Amino acid sequence: MKVYIVDNGGQWTHREWRVLKYLDVETKIVPNTTPFEELKDLDGLILSGGSPNVASDKDAMGNNGEYLDKAEFPIFGICAGMQFTCEWFGGKLGPAENPEFSKVDLKISNHADLFKGIPDEITVWASHNDEVKVVPDNFEIIATSPTCPVEAVRCKDRPIYAVQFHPEVEHTEYGAEMFQNFLDIIADWKK
Amino acid sequence: MDSNKRPDTMERITTPELADAFIKEQVVELQKQIGDGKVLLALSGGVDSSVVAALLIKAIGKNLTCVHVNHGLLRKGEAEQVIDVFRNQMKANLVYVDATDRFLDKLAGVSDPEQKRKIIGAEFITVFEEEAKKIEGVKFLGQGTIYPDILESNGVKAHHNVGGLPEKFGFELVEPVKLLFKDEVRVVGKQLGLPDNMVYRQPFPGPGLGVRCTGAITRDRLEAVRESDAILREEFAKADLEGKVWQYFTVVPDYRSTGVRDGKRLWDWPVIIRAVNTKDAMTATVEEVPWPLLNKITQRILAEVKGVNRVLYDLSPKPCATIEWE
Repeated sequence: MKVYIVDNGGQWTHREWRVLKYLDVETKIVPNTTPFEELKDLDGLILSGGSPNVASDKDAMGNNGEYLDKAEFPIFGICAGMQFTCEWFGGKLGPAENPEFSKVDLKISNHADLFKGIPDEITVWASHNDEVKVVPDNFEIIATSPTCPVEAVRCKDRPIYAVQFHPEVEHTEYGAEMFQNFLDIIADWKK
Repeated sequence: MDSNKRPDTMERITTPELADAFIKEQVVELQKQIGDGKVLLALSGGVDSSVVAALLIKAIGKNLTCVHVNHGLLRKGEAEQVIDVFRNQMKANLVYVDATDRFLDKLAGVSDPEQKRKIIGAEFITVFEEEAKKIEGVKFLGQGTIYPDILESNGVKAHHNVGGLPEKFGFELVEPVKLLFKDEVRVVGKQLGLPDNMVYRQPFPGPGLGVRCTGAITRDRLEAVRESDAILREEFAKADLEGKVWQYFTVVPDYRSTGVRDGKRLWDWPVIIRAVNTKDAMTATVEEVPWPLLNKITQRILAEVKGVNRVLYDLSPKPCATIEWE
């Protein structure tokens, strides 16, 4: 299985690479300016986290929009990757009422795919100043926290998933399981 | 050992027996690779280079030259321990360079953390190169590369800490533990007779105490860092926290506040205690040190460390703080 990571400048992009490597996936970190043409034969794509406000800074997000438009394979957006995705499909971003740094109590409401086999309430690690204020019409919320109403979303008609927190860091519970679930989503989609 | 890939069949070294088998194997490999040749090794005091040194001493004895550079930013007793373990106990060929004045003079007045790191890194290479030139006929450079170094750099030869040294001197690399994970290196280290406090040593940054004496480094404030750090480590060991808390140290910022001692007004530095837990240092939580222990440490620091009138505890996880202060 070939899943690459689009680097949006975050501090944990390498960690995302490491999780995939340890899950035995063929993976590579690519700059977000990579043309979609070079990624079209992948099985899946991860849109990494980035620096503050980068989701609204179009120049810093490179070709993320092109990937979301053209990819048929599953995509997993993390933090800035998630915010960009929501805005790209018509949602709205804004400064978070309660910026979240380090520990967040996550409440999962949908265990269909990304959160399959994961308990309802877990601890996750976040690092964000902005948040999704309005979720796009074709997306639904699948997790919240007391301080942030949109912690995770999934697309209703395409295999696109996104989380505000960071599943790749060691302090997020069940992080590796979330990545494995994404790989399972890819395996199902390939059939 | 040409391949950088750990064989899938290789058993994880968890017992003294497995460590002994590895040591036996490696000694043979090293003798094959080196023959009568001479090896140079930078001995930092950290577990990886210490284990490589101990292995090489076993394999080639005095044909190994260890160079331990004291940049003046080591912890209390550290350089002395390296000399004691390697020169006195293991009878190694140890070159000890006390370059304290060189480093501190170059760092005088430099307050930018990145600048400080660059100066320390560059001066280290200069000092090491000077020593390397003094030793005739050295063809090999030992390195404490471990498997995570290879895994994390995409399988390509790991990043050296000695700059372009291999290329410059035409050294062949000797990396006997390059396929081991950190826990395995520790088991092997113990079997080779290294002391526990070296084998289970907490991670220590390259620039050493230089990034814990924040801003421009002065000898007196550096001493306050060194002494308070020694007290912290002593008390943590007594409280059986050594080896249980991932990393713990003191920071003395370039800042003063008022104090009073025996009616006399003080204008002294604070000591900040930092104690964190993590696996990979990318995110970290703060250790919940029991109040009585914090009190004891505070009492000792205020009584024994010159120029300090306050003790603080850093409560910040990562993010948004980093583990180090610089």
